[in-house]
Amino acid sequence: MSLIKVREVTKIYKGGDGVVEALKNINLEIAEGEFLALMGPSGSGKSTLLSVLGGLNPPTSGKLIIDDIDVYALAPERLADFRHEYVGFVFQQYQLIPYLTALENVMLPLAITSRPGKEQRDMAQTVLDKVGLGSKSQRLPNQLSGGEQNRVAIARAIVNEPAIIFADEPTGSLDSKTAMELLELFQTLNQGGLTMIMVTHNQDNLEWVSRAVYIRDGVLVPIPEEA
Amino acid sequence: MRLTDIALQNLRRRKMRSALLVFSVVIGVASIIFLYSSTQVMKEDVANKLDQFGSNILILPDSGAAMNFGGITVEAPTQVKELDMSLIPLMQTIKNKETLATIAPKLLVDTKINGQTILLLGVDFRQELRLKKWWKLNGLAKDQIPSANEVILGSDVARSLGLSPNQTITIKEQEFRVTGIIQPTGSTENDQAIFIDLTVLQKLANRPNAISLIETAALCYTCPIEEVTQQLSAKLPGTKVTALKSTLESRDDTVNRFNLFARIVSLILFLASSLVITMTMKASVEERTREIGILRAIGFRKRHIIQIILTEAGLLGSLGGLLGYLLGMGAAVRYGSVLVKTQVHIPWQANLLVYAILASILISLIASLNPAWQAAILDPTESLRYM
Repeated sequence: MSLIKVREVTKIYKGGDGVVEALKNINLEIAEGEFLALMGPSGSGKSTLLSVLGGLNPPTSGKLIIDDIDVYALAPERLADFRHEYVGFVFQQYQLIPYLTALENVMLPLAITSRPGKEQRDMAQTVLDKVGLGSKSQRLPNQLSGGEQNRVAIARAIVNEPAIIFADEPTGSLDSKTAMELLELFQTLNQGGLTMIMVTHNQDNLEWVSRAVYIRDGVLVPIPEEA
Repeated sequence: MRLTDIALQNLRRRKMRSALLVFSVVIGVASIIFLYSSTQVMKEDVANKLDQFGSNILILPDSGAAMNFGGITVEAPTQVKELDMSLIPLMQTIKNKETLATIAPKLLVDTKINGQTILLLGVDFRQELRLKKWWKLNGLAKDQIPSANEVILGSDVARSLGLSPNQTITIKEQEFRVTGIIQPTGSTENDQAIFIDLTVLQKLANRPNAISLIETAALCYTCPIEEVTQQLSAKLPGTKVTALKSTLESRDDTVNRFNLFARIVSLILFLASSLVITMTMKASVEERTREIGILRAIGFRKRHIIQIILTEAGLLGSLGGLLGYLLGMGAAVRYGSVLVKTQVHIPWQANLLVYAILASILISLIASLNPAWQAAILDPTESLRYM
């Protein structure tokens, strides 16, 4: 059963460089529990598609249906609630808040819930243990390696138990060993029932995913041989 | 973790920016507190000095008109209508009795000396000298109170009679020593009269207990003089109690000028502080675009972002208010009296602490509203482009 339905999504940017059609009539369905890789060359529109799928970037036209909710028909504050409830993001460069410890960064999505502080801390500590960073929970991001920061970002994405994780080039700045450990973690989370959508341009990552789609010039195309 | 924790952590991290904002609030609040306290004491001091400058309430018999005293028409001494000493204790029974700083009864009697008609003013010297602090007296030592056989002469009288200090003068067949001569004041009641002990004059004029008028100085910095006038009228039947408007209006005018000055300077400081807070918070928001994008992406609502920014502003504002109060009040207590050249001591005013903190929080919140709103409406996608 499809958890995510993308219906004729087009995204046009208008700016100083004129009009850019980043996504052109995209149609896509993603099943619950799927681990999807979104591939394509730089500037192909894969990050734009990811942001549209994540409820961050309204399309110029078309619809995004997640769990039978017409996402962009929601009022802005309800859309924020939707992201909080359904979506976890793992951004490029980890994007941790530098003045918060690893534990506090993971607790961020819980800060706007009514959960008591102790419960928040326990939940955050549990997911940090899960990603193998339980002993480094009090460290600031700059006291952690790139791979460890990435794990904190993953812990933050999953602490609120969302339905879907969106990851934008999560292995892009990691060495191959750390990248492999990260993908193993993603696979474990996916096997636990999470739907994963990962932007990547590294074909080696394909062995970890259940399906891959390829985007070029804003259009979904078959995966080329040389990709 | 709560939104307040995020705000607190951010403040801890951005120490310099936080310190700048607190500093601007401290400067604003401290200046306003200092100015307010000093102005208050200046107002009090001016009021005191104006009160010392002369009487501001005159009590006369209710009718009759024969003698002019300092522009006020006074009952003629030959007429029956006059006041008596029993009124003075009655004056001490009014509700605002503590404001009656000086009560100076007077008996006006005319007499002939060397063929000249001269006004004799029977006074209580202690009270009179308190009331007429601007008098410059030749011959009388500082704080010296003339005795019963001594008189003070107005400058015109001294000149016309050819008298100088320590000489003697005969009044109604009794000799008196001239203990002081008032330097010219420009007013007839001072320059053209002989000041003599009230009790002595009452005996000489064979009018025991009689008085023609009472001058009183009400220290009305904290009280409405009209009320004191009404209270005196009610307690003193058969008298006419008059407030000297010119003194009051002059005092009001001076006090109002101080008030206006303080308000204008306070407004300027308020605007300057607000501007610094707005600019600081705006810069803080711009610096944190990426963080705000992350928070919005993970589901923070606009109001959550506004709450974080305003919490930061409120915390810094309250700290600035507290420090500003301590600095401003401390400076006012320590140096205020010296700087504004007053002898009135400025006390610590604890109630200003509440106002200082509340006002600082309010200013900080108002000044941060726009930056907070700008942060809240940041497009998460645009913010994440910084990544």
